[in-house]
Amino acid sequence: MIEVTHVSKSYNRGKVKAVDDLSLTVKPGEIFGFLGPNGAGKTTTIKMIVGLLRPDSGRIAVEGFDVAADGLKAKQVTTFVPDSPAVYERLTGLEYLNFIGDVYGVPKAERLERIGKWLEIFELAAVVTNPIQSYSHGMRQKIVLTAALLPAPRVMVLDEPLVGLDPRAAHQIKEMFREHCDAGKTLFFSTHIMEVAEKLCDRIGIIHKGRLVACGTMAELKAVDRTEAGQSLEEIFLELTDE
Amino acid sequence: MSKLATVVRAGLRSNFGLATIKYRILTEKKDRWLVPLFGLAALGVVPRFFGIVLLIQNVYDVLRPMGQERALLSFGILAGQLLILLFGIYYIIAAFYFARDLDLLIPLPLRPGEVMASKFAVVVINEYLTVAALVLPVVITLGVVAHASVGYWVNAVLVYLALPIIPLALVSLAVVVMMRFINVSRKKDALILVGSLVLIGVSLSVQIALGRSGGGHAGIGAGAGGTQAAAESLAAFFTSPNSLLNKVGAFFPPAIWATKAIAGGFSGEGLANLALLLGVSLVLFAGMIVFAEKLFYRGVIGLGETTGRKRRLSRDEMSRRVAGGRRAFAAILGREWKIMNRTPIFLLNGVLVSVLLPAMFVLMATIDTGGGGGSGAGSGQGGDTMALLKMLMASDPLLVMLGAALFMTICGSINGTASSAFSREGAQFWISQVIPVAPREQAAAKFVHSYLVATLGVVTSAIVAGVFLHVKAMQLAAGAGLALVAGVALTAVGMIIDLARPLLDWTNPQKAIKQNLNVLLGLMADAGILTAAFFGVRALIRAKLAPNVVLGIVFVGLAALSAVSYIILLRFADKRYREIS
Repeated sequence: MIEVTHVSKSYNRGKVKAVDDLSLTVKPGEIFGFLGPNGAGKTTTIKMIVGLLRPDSGRIAVEGFDVAADGLKAKQVTTFVPDSPAVYERLTGLEYLNFIGDVYGVPKAERLERIGKWLEIFELAAVVTNPIQSYSHGMRQKIVLTAALLPAPRVMVLDEPLVGLDPRAAHQIKEMFREHCDAGKTLFFSTHIMEVAEKLCDRIGIIHKGRLVACGTMAELKAVDRTEAGQSLEEIFLELTDE
Repeated sequence: MSKLATVVRAGLRSNFGLATIKYRILTEKKDRWLVPLFGLAALGVVPRFFGIVLLIQNVYDVLRPMGQERALLSFGILAGQLLILLFGIYYIIAAFYFARDLDLLIPLPLRPGEVMASKFAVVVINEYLTVAALVLPVVITLGVVAHASVGYWVNAVLVYLALPIIPLALVSLAVVVMMRFINVSRKKDALILVGSLVLIGVSLSVQIALGRSGGGHAGIGAGAGGTQAAAESLAAFFTSPNSLLNKVGAFFPPAIWATKAIAGGFSGEGLANLALLLGVSLVLFAGMIVFAEKLFYRGVIGLGETTGRKRRLSRDEMSRRVAGGRRAFAAILGREWKIMNRTPIFLLNGVLVSVLLPAMFVLMATIDTGGGGGSGAGSGQGGDTMALLKMLMASDPLLVMLGAALFMTICGSINGTASSAFSREGAQFWISQVIPVAPREQAAAKFVHSYLVATLGVVTSAIVAGVFLHVKAMQLAAGAGLALVAGVALTAVGMIIDLARPLLDWTNPQKAIKQNLNVLLGLMADAGILTAAFFGVRALIRAKLAPNVVLGIVFVGLAALSAVSYIILLRFADKRYREIS
């Protein structure tokens, strides 16, 4: 569960307001899609949830742990996939996975089982002992995803996780999202692909200029009376974020 | 030509981002504390510069009646060019082959020569700054005391601008050819390391060989008190028929051309030599660009790619290689160790410096001290060091222990491992911020890594002190003990500095360690701590305390400082990890 309560964040000594009084809750078992134009505040919100940025005001809790006051406990139940897969290039894929397994305290038996499973699914099994430096962008994205899945976290936060993935991998990721949430866990991700959000997400939030302009299930978003809105998520998004 | 100018300008802007510095100091107000610090450092350097200027003036007074005053100019220029030759290897390899912006530049409609010229320009500017301390005092002092003509000053500016071109173009040619062949190999990293060490070895050997043949040279940085004796020794060194200078004149003529160009001013000789220097610089630069067109891209394209063999691990192999139950502390320490040792630039500038420094000391100390140029007080630089150490060893055992401790401490702490501990993570720092490991635990693991590198320096220098200087085992053990305790404080302070302002947005690993301001700040802090320790020890000795009491007090004092620095580091990590974005 993720609870964001009246969170604000600004840059450049308050001159640029990136996130403005944002409140939302993502319940256990829910896939939450976070949409917004470039620069709307998506990545800033995500970074605050995983502890990479500190909010100026407001509170964020993950599985009941306050990210500011109880950061380590919140991190223990969360994994994060950033928008660009910057990982240790000089380590091999397996060394990186072992590193993540060690810092999250994943027991060996579970580690072996999960690494084996995800390496097969992502077709990385034959290259896992090569340095990450030799991986393509998509392969790096897959190793970061494998690392994020390795601790079997209660909460996954992903920033544009489908960018750079081939169609097969993207399909497998979407299936993984569903499995993850069917097990009662929480998944929060940002995307620009409206079709994915529409089909996959239990609920969707649209952020524009730092403010949450819409939040709900697809049915709820469609039900709002709009003068010009059509019925697709893309049309709703375009209307809500129109200058 | 305009395209070349554009790409050179872009390269200079991204490397010497004055806009970034202005933004950090004036807008973000983050680095404001650096301004008074550098002011203070500059003030500290003034007396030393005054001593150097005084020495140059004395040498000039001795040489002038003999008509040999130009030799002083050659010496300054030559020292500058040799320095460029040595450091240029590091800079050229990093700028030409490891700058990440190459991935952006290569796809642009630019010729390989234009890309290389932009990188070359950045290195040239760096070298202007590096050699300024060596060349400018000589040129300016000489110009002032000799009431030089306008021609002297105009030519001096032109010569200074051209100074790095010839040595750097030579280094570039060697490096471009080397990388062309390294790039086809599978073991690129190892070859880059070996190649760099060979080039450094060659450059050092040339300098040592020149030092031997010339009989060494007096310390140009001698204090103001000994300037007269030093000036006489320098004069003897310059005027000897078999002097270093004459040999070098034959071996590396550009230094002589530069001297004649400056000293000659607008005379026929001055202009002819200026034309010669500029002409050869231009020809070598053009030759380098022609070479670049043929070889540069063949060396750089695909250098970052590593072709791994595709091989599935069997179930047993996987079971063996998947770790289990390792603590987070050990995992972070392992990560630090692997990344440092597998990144050639980090390895060269960090771990290897700890080993190379004592080794270089041995080489310098064993330079023949009785050659042709040295007479009277004219023992060589190596001779000075040996004489000083012998004097120390012959005197008080307490001084031997303290001297050995100082030597080991310097050898252990002068590498930039601690003061780049956080910067080296670069764009991957997000991983350290999101993992469920307390920042203090992460900092502790990084501390152990940096401290192990420092310990390597202490051990290597202890071996050098034992084998080459015949320091007794007990004295060596006491010195090593003090150095290891001092190393804790110096490592922690270096890490605190890096944590205060980590450089995480680097595109070239060289910037994370070699060109990282934090490394310089760390060295300044080390120098401050060691100076304070020196005055403390001097006060204890003057108080006529028993040697064991002095040692005990120094040990306890350093241990207390180390404990405090380490605790501050851990607390600071808890605070800073959340703030860095």
